Amino acid sequence: AAMAPGKKITARLKRTLPVKGPQAPTLSELMRWYCLNTNTHGCRRIVVSRGRLRRFLWILLTLSAVGLILWQCAELLMNYYSASVSVTVQFQKLPFPAVTICNINPYKYSSMKDYLSELDKETKKALETFYGFSEGKSKVRRSVDEWNSSGSDFFTQIPLLKFEDFSKTATDLRSGQKRKIEGSVFHKDSSIVNSGDSNDIIGFQLCDANNSSECALYTFSSGVNAIQEWYKLHYMNIMAQIPLETKEKLSYSADDLLLTCFFDGLSCDKRHFTRFHHPLHGNCYTFNSGESGTILSTSTGGSEYGLQVVLYIDEADYNPFLVTSTGAKIIVHDQDEYPFIEDIGTEIETAAATSIGMHFTRSRKLSKPYSDCTETGADIPVENLYNKSYSLQICLHSCFQKAMVDSCGCAQYAQPLPAGAEYCNYKKNPNWMYCYYRLHEKFVKEQLGCQQICKDACSFKEWALTTSIAQWPSAVSEDWMLRVLSWDKGQKINKKLNKTDLANLMVFYKDLNERFISENPANTLVILLSNFGGQLGLWMSCSVVCVIEIVEVFFIDSLSIVMRRQWQKAKKWWNGRKRDRSGKPPQAGDLERQGHDNPVCIDEDLPTFNTALRLPLPQDSPLPRTPPPNYSTLRLEAAFTEQLPDTLEVGQ
Amino acid sequence: EGLIEFYDSFKDMFEFFCKNTTIHGTIRLVCSDSNRMKTAFWTLLLLASFGMLYWQFALMFSQYWAYPVVLTMSMHSEPKMFPAITICNLDPYRFELVSEHLVQLDHMAEESIAFLYGIKTSASLFHVNEKNIHVKDLSSIGNASKSSFKLSQNFSLLRMPDHNHRSGKKHSSVGFRLCNATGGNCFYKTYSSGMGAILEWYRFHYMNIMSQLPVIINISDHEEQIEDMVYSCQYDGEPCRPSDYVHFHHPVFGSCYTFNSKGTDPFWTATKPGIPYGLSLILRAEQKDHIPLLSTVAGVKVMIHNHNQTPFLEHEGFDIRPGIATTIGIQQDEVNRLGGNYGKCTTDGSDVNVKLLYNNSYTLQACLHSCFQHIMVRKCGCGYYYYPLPPGAEYCDYNKQPAWGHCFYQLYNRLRNHHLNCFDQCPKPCRESVYKVSAGTAKWPSSKSQDWIRQALRHQNGYNSTSNRKDIAKVTIFYQQLNYQAVNESPLLSENLLLSSMGSQWSLWFGSSVLSVVEMFELLIDTLVLSLLFCYQRFRAKKT
Repeated sequence: AAMAPGKKITARLKRTLPVKGPQAPTLSELMRWYCLNTNTHGCRRIVVSRGRLRRFLWILLTLSAVGLILWQCAELLMNYYSASVSVTVQFQKLPFPAVTICNINPYKYSSMKDYLSELDKETKKALETFYGFSEGKSKVRRSVDEWNSSGSDFFTQIPLLKFEDFSKTATDLRSGQKRKIEGSVFHKDSSIVNSGDSNDIIGFQLCDANNSSECALYTFSSGVNAIQEWYKLHYMNIMAQIPLETKEKLSYSADDLLLTCFFDGLSCDKRHFTRFHHPLHGNCYTFNSGESGTILSTSTGGSEYGLQVVLYIDEADYNPFLVTSTGAKIIVHDQDEYPFIEDIGTEIETAAATSIGMHFTRSRKLSKPYSDCTETGADIPVENLYNKSYSLQICLHSCFQKAMVDSCGCAQYAQPLPAGAEYCNYKKNPNWMYCYYRLHEKFVKEQLGCQQICKDACSFKEWALTTSIAQWPSAVSEDWMLRVLSWDKGQKINKKLNKTDLANLMVFYKDLNERFISENPANTLVILLSNFGGQLGLWMSCSVVCVIEIVEVFFIDSLSIVMRRQWQKAKKWWNGRKRDRSGKPPQAGDLERQGHDNPVCIDEDLPTFNTALRLPLPQDSPLPRTPPPNYSTLRLEAAFTEQLPDTLEVGQ
Repeated sequence: EGLIEFYDSFKDMFEFFCKNTTIHGTIRLVCSDSNRMKTAFWTLLLLASFGMLYWQFALMFSQYWAYPVVLTMSMHSEPKMFPAITICNLDPYRFELVSEHLVQLDHMAEESIAFLYGIKTSASLFHVNEKNIHVKDLSSIGNASKSSFKLSQNFSLLRMPDHNHRSGKKHSSVGFRLCNATGGNCFYKTYSSGMGAILEWYRFHYMNIMSQLPVIINISDHEEQIEDMVYSCQYDGEPCRPSDYVHFHHPVFGSCYTFNSKGTDPFWTATKPGIPYGLSLILRAEQKDHIPLLSTVAGVKVMIHNHNQTPFLEHEGFDIRPGIATTIGIQQDEVNRLGGNYGKCTTDGSDVNVKLLYNNSYTLQACLHSCFQHIMVRKCGCGYYYYPLPPGAEYCDYNKQPAWGHCFYQLYNRLRNHHLNCFDQCPKPCRESVYKVSAGTAKWPSSKSQDWIRQALRHQNGYNSTSNRKDIAKVTIFYQQLNYQAVNESPLLSENLLLSSMGSQWSLWFGSSVLSVVEMFELLIDTLVLSLLFCYQRFRAKKT
């Protein structure tokens, strides 16, 4: 019979590419077919079991197995991003850390006289008016006279005040006048220490220069704190105006600070130390800073093989108001870490030998998605103002400094300068202190967002310190030791050393064990998959293939059955309609339909996984045309009682 | 189709099973009975893999039931509260009620020292007491028991020749004798150094005297002002507030103040690490010598502990020297134990047999003390003075219980040697915070600044020393880092992983699943039911 060319091609295609439809004509037949042929356990039993009770029980068992698989696999997935920690202790030659040493007093008081004389006079006067304290009455009297002539008005802006019974009046230290305290007041809790009625409270007031009703009042539990804080405030303003080179000259030189030095049993000198200027602590000296390119290491642990220095702490040249304790401050840090000496420095005493034993620990955390930490700090939107490697502390300080420059227009003295900014002083920025205290309040209350932006560093090194103190020099050795040290020093100073001017410091490794704490992913993809496989196998003996099978049968095949039904229905309806009003052309819109809605596509059976892969069967095979069962040698009966017309050869 | 259908015969049943079972490979080959040799071989193989499977299961379960744990260490950096800080001035009160006896005791001590060493130390030791005894007046309590107490002369200090003949030198030890109620079973509590002996002997008498005091002393009426001890208190740059501390009196450590004891006030949140953001105190560290023989240390005792925890200063205190600025850096470590099957620990102490005598949260030390006190009350009939009393008991007093010292020291030795079961009864807490402390010291005040500092303190804080004695100290306690290490126990083998590895084993050896096992189980039940049915049929057939 003559066929239309289009139909011929379709028939040919069907012959050469045996693309078949789903394995069953209806949904229930498909399910039955699936259950009989799948490798997944339980399903077959649902079909083959005899009796409704058994069938029901098997349905229940199968469904609960599926549920268990889903639950357990979800749990496995949730625990996937957990880290396990391994601690390794290695015995090795450890690099010696950098040791930064500062005198507690930042600048020589004698050479600071030019800058600080006015402030000191003011402070002494405050002490005299409040406490009746004076050292040499005449001197103070004279200074008062001088004061009146000098035109400096910075102290008048922020004077020390004596508050009386919170009656909103305060006595100004300078003029002795009472002034009214106005504006909002911070910190208005009465301190525990000053609950007595006769005691006066001393503090100071910071006002917004543009709007004098906006004031912040600072009170302190003790006059000692009040005077020190007040002094520091003015001191920072004065220091901010002095250029760095001058400040370096005003502070201690390496020869001033270091008397003797031993490292690893060998003598060392000031060339091993690098100068580092800290805004609050003046010149500090870093031993083994790594700037020369080499990092020293100790051959063995023990105090003999560490760093031993004798420091000269010139107590007579101390600033009496800025610092009240005598000694030195040291900090042990990594070569590329910034020494936060004001925050975590360890103080050492004069007239004593302080030995500090170190224990080294290195830690490494896993970054995202295991924890929220940063490797290099490059992904943090805060510019690192310190020339050192990232740490949380650096980030917080930089963030605060940036906020300070943005809102107050100048930089805070204790932290490094951002590009293009300059340090605050009240000559240029009369309003900065009020701004700073406001900002700091905000920072503490986490309103600046710094704490949210800054993340922990992923790896860090830590030197745990153990301190012990002994009296030094001993009574019998004191005599000769002081004489020798004085003679060494004699070229520069012409006075006999006192033992309270000396401090002996030993920094050493207690042992050369490095403790390395590292996080490792507890689960790799391989382990996760094998655990998945375990769960699937345990409950249903299922595998990835069976998951694909499920997708094929339950989604693709079922969908195509449903679609075919709908298509047949639609065709029937269309034919009936066509018969009713024959002659009318089909509407143009119908042809534009695409995809599954397009009747042209639906006409062809969708290829399935099984049918696409199967080779054409021999023409007269005695076996039924169902896919061979998995254990075909054993399965003797046909899967279906009747052969589906859909699965028959097309050509027949 | 009926509700329950059974097979017609065993053959039918096995056929059905062999045809439809999902157990892989081997069982199917066993089922095919075409070749006997083959079947036998495959049966052997099946049994072997079965054996392997269950051997592996046994290994897995024995590992699981051993409840192994792994320690995982993690770093946290969330903001947290500052720990509670307790400071004590090492200067207990002389209560008016017992001051007379204390004077007697001091005289007795003087005599003993003179007897033992023959030196006239007494004059230099106790003259302080004669002129300014600081007596704490508790007149409101009344003095009913005042007359009844008498210092016992039975426990005098003796010098004993040492039995150690190895060294040629002559040694002697000092101690005192303790006997039981009938005067038998005596032993000497001896010390190689006379100092230890005198201190212990004094402490023993002191406890007896102090037991005269009422159990609850209301010190708030006669409260020593905190200003007498703390001249300045600042946290994070702000002055402390009156609500921030609690005051209590310790019989040995004197007046104690605990800052931030509750740990709930947001004032005490630690925002930044570093010295400027810590707690800074200026303290009076002068020894007033109220009771000179109780403690020989001058300074201030500081302890850093958890909130709501009784500070056991005798165990963990930290001494501050006068004339020194001490900066104490702390670092927190946290230990979390799993508890349950994984090890003994308690979350809040409610499941511990020992009734806690302290009103605070559970700690191992509090439990041990309570346990010891309970045993003490049971065995010796009275309570040890330094621990709180259980209801209905009273403190030991040798006028009432003459043998309590004998009983106590023996009991205490047994506790120390772990012969009392207190260590078994008191588990560790499941969650513990440990504060690692490192300190630096510097001279304070410096010679240049001490004049104005003393003047300021004198004027404002009632500091009334004119001499240059070292009698003030400065303490700063701060967080070195805000991130803390947590050591957590976590199970090495969770149920989840156990099931996974069981499934893998099952698939590996057997190619089957839980559902296959249910199939076997079904077969077993069917066999049973069928045999019962057939028996019943045969029985009925015979009958008819």
